[in-house]
Amino acid sequence: MNLSYRVYHVFIRNLYSYKRFVVSTFLVSLIEPLFYLITFGIGMGAYMGLFGGQSYLHFLVPGVLVSSVMMSSTFECLYGTFVKMVHERLYDSLIATPVSAEDAVAGDIAWGAFRGLISGGLMMLVAMAMGVLPVSIPSVLLILVLMVFVGVLFASLAMIVTSVSPSFDFFNYYTELIITPMLFFSGVFFPLDKFPAWMKSLAAFMPLTHAVNISRAVFSGQYHARIIWNFLVLFVLEIAAFSVGVRMMKKRLIK
Amino acid sequence: MSAFIAARGLTKKYGDLVAVDGISFDIPEGECFGFLGPNGAGKTTTVRMMHCVSPVTSGTLTVDGMPAHIDNRAIKMMTGVIPQEITLDPDLTVQENMVIFARFFDIPKREARPRIDELLKFVELEAKRTSKIDQLSTGMKRRLLVARALLNRPRLIVADEPTTGLDPQARHLIWQRLRQLKAQGATLILTTQYMEEAQQLCDRIVIMHQGRILREGLPQTLIEDEIGREVVEIRIAKEEDERLVRELGPFARGHERVGDPLFFYCRDGHDIMRKLVELDLPNTWTRPATLEDVFLKLTGRGLIE
Repeated sequence: MNLSYRVYHVFIRNLYSYKRFVVSTFLVSLIEPLFYLITFGIGMGAYMGLFGGQSYLHFLVPGVLVSSVMMSSTFECLYGTFVKMVHERLYDSLIATPVSAEDAVAGDIAWGAFRGLISGGLMMLVAMAMGVLPVSIPSVLLILVLMVFVGVLFASLAMIVTSVSPSFDFFNYYTELIITPMLFFSGVFFPLDKFPAWMKSLAAFMPLTHAVNISRAVFSGQYHARIIWNFLVLFVLEIAAFSVGVRMMKKRLIK
Repeated sequence: MSAFIAARGLTKKYGDLVAVDGISFDIPEGECFGFLGPNGAGKTTTVRMMHCVSPVTSGTLTVDGMPAHIDNRAIKMMTGVIPQEITLDPDLTVQENMVIFARFFDIPKREARPRIDELLKFVELEAKRTSKIDQLSTGMKRRLLVARALLNRPRLIVADEPTTGLDPQARHLIWQRLRQLKAQGATLILTTQYMEEAQQLCDRIVIMHQGRILREGLPQTLIEDEIGREVVEIRIAKEEDERLVRELGPFARGHERVGDPLFFYCRDGHDIMRKLVELDLPNTWTRPATLEDVFLKLTGRGLIE
């Protein structure tokens, strides 16, 4: 794998282009969490008892934070990368410079993770404004680190999909059949305890489940041994997804 | 001195399709070398292997002594590419396109700024600095591609059909700029379908067809060897061919019937013209032989899809 510091150049290119969309994406990133937190958190939460001694909103926030990271980084590396690759032919001019195909793809993965961090970070601000706060300052920082970690994972997974996608339509399979179900089966909106055993084991195969578990532990400061397992699963998956995603994209870019 | 670029048995396959079929050539530094050929002849594939964006299937290809390879950053570092397609960054302005590209080549900001100014001036785009790419005309976009390709002060410039789709003014401006670069010592690799472009710019050319090199040489020598100096064109019914060839053949080096006209290729058109006057044929004219005649003779006149 021919990776170098030039990943950073590609990231900066994306930052330049982002200047034009920053207001609209910030608005979207702020409105989306409000929608989740108000409808589910306050609206639905009003009909629910306490979750482990706290309101439903407190239960909801840590999961929603990582799932918004998932959504942003996934979409960035599906649609964003596809446009750059097929419509704008940006990769073609990139790989004719000392920037390698691996640098270019990794730069886009880093960018996808950054977009995830922005979405998650804004959502955390909204949650904090609504009085749902992580337990301590270090836990705020840890949550931000977790967001980047989760962002790289889902950006890499999306790259794999993008590398084999003939058109935009193909992305629907991934988002509708994998990403959306993941949102509902990963314990973001309700605990998984009451699920039948097979559903629980299914959830164990979903990366988001592990991310939500970690997020909840970091948010509340109540760590338990299981999150080591959660972290290991994500870590291994992330390494695998990154190297497969970069390699498959390279195969598509270089003919 | 060994060649700046050397290819031996260079081959490129895409699955079963052989795009470049075992070609060999040497290009000394400072030369303008042209690849001519119809669509699908393998010109673009060949130059893409040279500037290291497409892997070599077999054979060898070296640039400045280094093997051309997809991960050879050293070759990419000294190469400027003017691509066939407009691959400017549409999300950025003219200036930003240059700034970002300079970054890709690790050019420090302090050096990049004056160089960008100078290059935008060179292609007459200073006034468009803050324009977005979609506000530019095709000619301006092509000029910006030229400026962008020069950011790293390349020793090797690869121009893949650099004037496709341009009006004559813009085309001449690009030609002038390319000639200037060559005068400054850069090696220039050009692919083109425009014979005039090749004649204007190239020291040496190869004519490619179906992945192979058919001829190599100086444009003028190729014309004289293959065609002669002049071409006599006669619009006449096919039935007359036999008689005309009998009458005019001795004065020509060769003849060819292509649909409507009958061509005679000759070293000197005078004798044939005198004969034509005798025969009193309408619809005849004589013109200098061009590279286009060579090209069509060698690559055939059928449409190549």
